[in-house]
Amino acid sequence: MSFFRNQIEIAWCPGCGNFNLLTALSEALAELGLKPSQVVLVSGIGQAAKAPHYIQANVFNGLHGRSIPIAFGIQAVNPELTVIVESGDGCMYGEGGNHLIHAIRRNPNITVIVHDNQVYGLTKGQASPTSETGFVSKTQPLGTVSEPFHPLALAVSQDASFVARGFTGDKEGLKSILKQAIQWKGFSLVDVLQPCVTFNHTNTFGWYRSRLYPLPEEYNSEDQVEAFKKSLEWGDKIPIGVIYRHAKSVFSDRIFEKLGRKNFLTPTNNYQLVFEDEKHWFE
Amino acid sequence: MLDITITIGGEAGQGVQTIGEVLSRILIRNGYYVFSVQDYHSRIRGGHNSVQIRFSDQPIQAIGTDLDLLVCLNEETQIIHQSTLRSDGIIIGTISNNPSISSSVSMIPIHFYEMAKGLGNPIFANIIAVGALIEILGIDEKIAEWYLEKIFQKKGNDIVQLNKNALSLGQKEIKKQQLPRKFLDRNGNQNDKIRFLIGGNEALGLGAILAGCTFYSAYPMTPSTGIMNFISSRSKKYGIIVEQAEDEIAAINMALGASYAGAKAMTATSGGGFCLMVEGLGLAAMTETPIVVVDGMRPGPSTGLPTRTSQGDLEFVLSASHDEFPRFVFAPRDPQDAIDTMIRAFNLSDHFQVPAIILSDQYLADSNWTFSQLKVNEKPQKTQTVLGDHTYQRYVLTESGISPRALPGMSNALVIADSDEHDEIGHLTEDLKLRVQMHEKRMKKIESMKKETRLPVYIPGKATTLIGWGSTYGVLFEAREKLIHLGIDAGLLHFTDVYPLSTDALKMLKSVPDPIVVEGNYQGQLARLLERETQTHFSYRINRYDGRPFFVNELVNQIREVLS
Repeated sequence: MSFFRNQIEIAWCPGCGNFNLLTALSEALAELGLKPSQVVLVSGIGQAAKAPHYIQANVFNGLHGRSIPIAFGIQAVNPELTVIVESGDGCMYGEGGNHLIHAIRRNPNITVIVHDNQVYGLTKGQASPTSETGFVSKTQPLGTVSEPFHPLALAVSQDASFVARGFTGDKEGLKSILKQAIQWKGFSLVDVLQPCVTFNHTNTFGWYRSRLYPLPEEYNSEDQVEAFKKSLEWGDKIPIGVIYRHAKSVFSDRIFEKLGRKNFLTPTNNYQLVFEDEKHWFE
Repeated sequence: MLDITITIGGEAGQGVQTIGEVLSRILIRNGYYVFSVQDYHSRIRGGHNSVQIRFSDQPIQAIGTDLDLLVCLNEETQIIHQSTLRSDGIIIGTISNNPSISSSVSMIPIHFYEMAKGLGNPIFANIIAVGALIEILGIDEKIAEWYLEKIFQKKGNDIVQLNKNALSLGQKEIKKQQLPRKFLDRNGNQNDKIRFLIGGNEALGLGAILAGCTFYSAYPMTPSTGIMNFISSRSKKYGIIVEQAEDEIAAINMALGASYAGAKAMTATSGGGFCLMVEGLGLAAMTETPIVVVDGMRPGPSTGLPTRTSQGDLEFVLSASHDEFPRFVFAPRDPQDAIDTMIRAFNLSDHFQVPAIILSDQYLADSNWTFSQLKVNEKPQKTQTVLGDHTYQRYVLTESGISPRALPGMSNALVIADSDEHDEIGHLTEDLKLRVQMHEKRMKKIESMKKETRLPVYIPGKATTLIGWGSTYGVLFEAREKLIHLGIDAGLLHFTDVYPLSTDALKMLKSVPDPIVVEGNYQGQLARLLERETQTHFSYRINRYDGRPFFVNELVNQIREVLS
């Protein structure tokens, strides 16, 4: 099954890292043997959030920062769907930061892919939560004074089920990470480093290529403390790959255990019987 | 007509609500109609809490005013409430003589708490108080004992017996006293059909369950948390996901995700939480995703008076979120109406694929009404969906504006929902011609929505017509009866379906004689809506915005002032 949409106009700049991410995700979904009708792509607002429109699948393109609650609601009532969030660093770590934290607690079986280019694209070049200190833009002409947010360190520290970092310059490597994340049962965060060719002249392809290195084979991604150390590595050397994984029960399993139901698309009881039963409670 | 009002007051945590609940159930079993209201401060412990129980041998549906009986679990209760005691009233509990209390009031000092300690546990203070109350009122203790057995059975026979002892201790204490008044016939009210006591929040929760709601996400906020408590307590029994969201923004978005996937979903909050939900309301409108949102109103702006009542959010919910889109706004008048309205809200939201907002308020949420029958007058509809193939278009342009709704994963149809303006498939577009078509598609639903909204309750009157909406119904109904008694032929026009207003409702409004619009806000928000819709003036208005509900006697006086 192909997830590519033909004959569409794509609103990204030529050379944008989004293209490779789009291809990697489309191919990953097809290689996993999924059908477009089984997949729901959820997004908010931003350049990354347009990605679902360029893929052949179900789509819920909602509000800025609010993709996770939408994805949670979809997956909670119909756990058979493969639910993937596509978001940017502004949408996920800025506007939507609170939802990210609480999604880790709930551990729904969703995959969150963050197109992290360390800059705002759609609103034309402002600093984002992951921009380096000193990043100069029209709205931060003196350079941003805040420190960058470290999404992977947050996720590992909070025991997120699956935490990884990818790079759009390495499409095959990225595809492999995305496949693992989508197959992983639990909340998966994939932060994808992605140069913005228009607004970010600091974190360019060259900048990344000289720093990125794949995690060695002997790396133990199940050790939370080691993973936390890895997640803090930034600067001259930046690791790529699956940083942390912790297999645990997902939200829908926990609900099944409590309520004995998997699917919440229709009520179980006849309303008249429910009413007769409930009425006595008020006598 | 027998009409007795009792207030029980004390600190939060002292058991005020337990006494109120137990006494209410006993009164109902004796064949009386009960109306009870909670009045509390925003505190877990301490602060002043009270519950008012009004009861009668006739149906009643409003808060009472003058107290026949005041039960004080602490000294503060007397200070706060003694001025509302009738001159032949009785005051019992932790009380003291003071010059401001009328000499005709009977005073019965009893230390329930100290007596309970004598029984081995201060927890019995509540049932001792109930014992004292049934003795004062003249209720047969057999019915009280029956009720104690019913509620304490699970905890074992010993606990039942200890509570019966507490009841009897309370009674004995009163038997020592000279009582000035006889309240009730020991045989109770003979017209004792089975009666139901139900509160607004319970009714809204029950209505949602009956409507087929399987997903409820919310952030706790007074006075709507009771709905969440009710649905949670039944989530296992009926298979309902109840998720406490991290904030109201998440709450409404989770519900929208669940609804997109095919569940009947809702959320509830108060005005401040609704502020956070506003963008999500627009998302529901743009993606044409059904959702039911309850706003339990309390005074604002901002945090306002968290535990008080208000009707101040009407204009807010009518225009909440930017640009224009159709929505339903309902305001149930009592718990029976809340059950039915909740089912209709789910049905209509689903059918038209628009948001339905239910305006409740603290008075409706926290008050209990008695009904001789509790019914379900509406039939819940199944979610209207289609199966499709690769040609499916989520927003296909139709004459009615309603596009057939497929669900993701149920067929080969791909369901594309977008907060951007979109094409018929659902993908974002900047084609301005298409924008116009899509905006008109959404907006034109309002004409068919008007045909589904119901007329207000109408009782004609020649001298004046009282107009109201939502929880004020019972008070206006009783105020009208009093006016009739005083020789003033007052009518009543009361809205549950506030928006959109049907053509017939507008016609009705234009013909009612001398309307007075009564509502719990400063500007007269319903009056302003009616003026806009009917192009006529509704200049006589009675407004209240002190956080308290309307009271029948005060309202009758205000209406007479307006008419004079």
